[in-house]
Amino acid sequence: MIIENVLLVSAALFAIGAYGVISRRSLVTVIMSLELMFNGVVIAAVAFSRFTPSAALISTNPLTSEAIRSSLTGHTFAIFVTAVAAGEAALAFALVFAMYRAVESVEITDASDMKN
Amino acid sequence: MEVSTLTTFVFWVASAMTLGLAVIVVTQRDVFRAAIALAGSFLGVGILYFVLNAEFVGVVQILVYVGAISVLMAFAVMFIQDVASGSRPSEGRLFAVVVSVLLFSAFAFTTYNSNWSSMDEITNPVALHALTDGYVELGTGDDISILKNRSPDLDGVVVENGGVLVDSTGAIGVMLIREYMLAFEIIGLLLVATLIGGLLLMRDRASENEPENGDAPA
Repeated sequence: MIIENVLLVSAALFAIGAYGVISRRSLVTVIMSLELMFNGVVIAAVAFSRFTPSAALISTNPLTSEAIRSSLTGHTFAIFVTAVAAGEAALAFALVFAMYRAVESVEITDASDMKN
Repeated sequence: MEVSTLTTFVFWVASAMTLGLAVIVVTQRDVFRAAIALAGSFLGVGILYFVLNAEFVGVVQILVYVGAISVLMAFAVMFIQDVASGSRPSEGRLFAVVVSVLLFSAFAFTTYNSNWSSMDEITNPVALHALTDGYVELGTGDDISILKNRSPDLDGVVVENGGVLVDSTGAIGVMLIREYMLAFEIIGLLLVATLIGGLLLMRDRASENEPENGDAPA
């Protein structure tokens, strides 16, 4: 297990999500694909945290707990992204329900009331 | 089996599970099946986090994604009758394939052509020993304890590629209220705003205009 392999998995998940976002018509599947893309990004952040030392870790001498903690920045980033993604999913579904009530459909092509 | 071999094996199994189920999510016409596959894919990602020594992120992944977001998806599928008839692919399918293949090849090219900094660059001997040969536990203050070979099972095992092995849960807790205090507060604000926004969007406007039964004289 090296960083390249983990990043490759992350890129593959992101690309699959991107395919879903572009190719699907139902808003529900589009949101699912968006979540897949979020996960791909977070995997990359955790992989960097695991395999690459932070600048403080390379240069600080003697070792401080701050320097060690800075190597976990990726984990903190992952927590923040997860929190934002959870809020996004809840709000996105509220919007989907609102649209379903308004136009009785959840297809992206029907969400064109604001056009012209 | 050696621990590093086992880790690599689990990594590939979890990756295959994640990517295979993700492909099902984006190709399956039945949206409910897609939602189930999505939950499995999230679980695979959670296992990946555990393999990458990010226990706390893994637990959060399982609680938030597998537990909450998957249930939200299932509810959405059940509430919206339209979805039950299936999710049709749009016309831009070929375009989507081209875009995602381009994205993936760009990422793969960058990944294999970059010079990632590795643990070998750590010159501080104490840090090197702590992070590649032991397991680091951080106190809330400045105390560091380096546990070499913390369990008998790991005796004599050299961690492959020398990764950071730090007791992450406590360290993340300290980080959230020290270095990232402001971001932490902003996330709290954002979640409250999301909650209020979601309630506002879902409010039933029709019942609002009716006179309330309590104070209206019969």
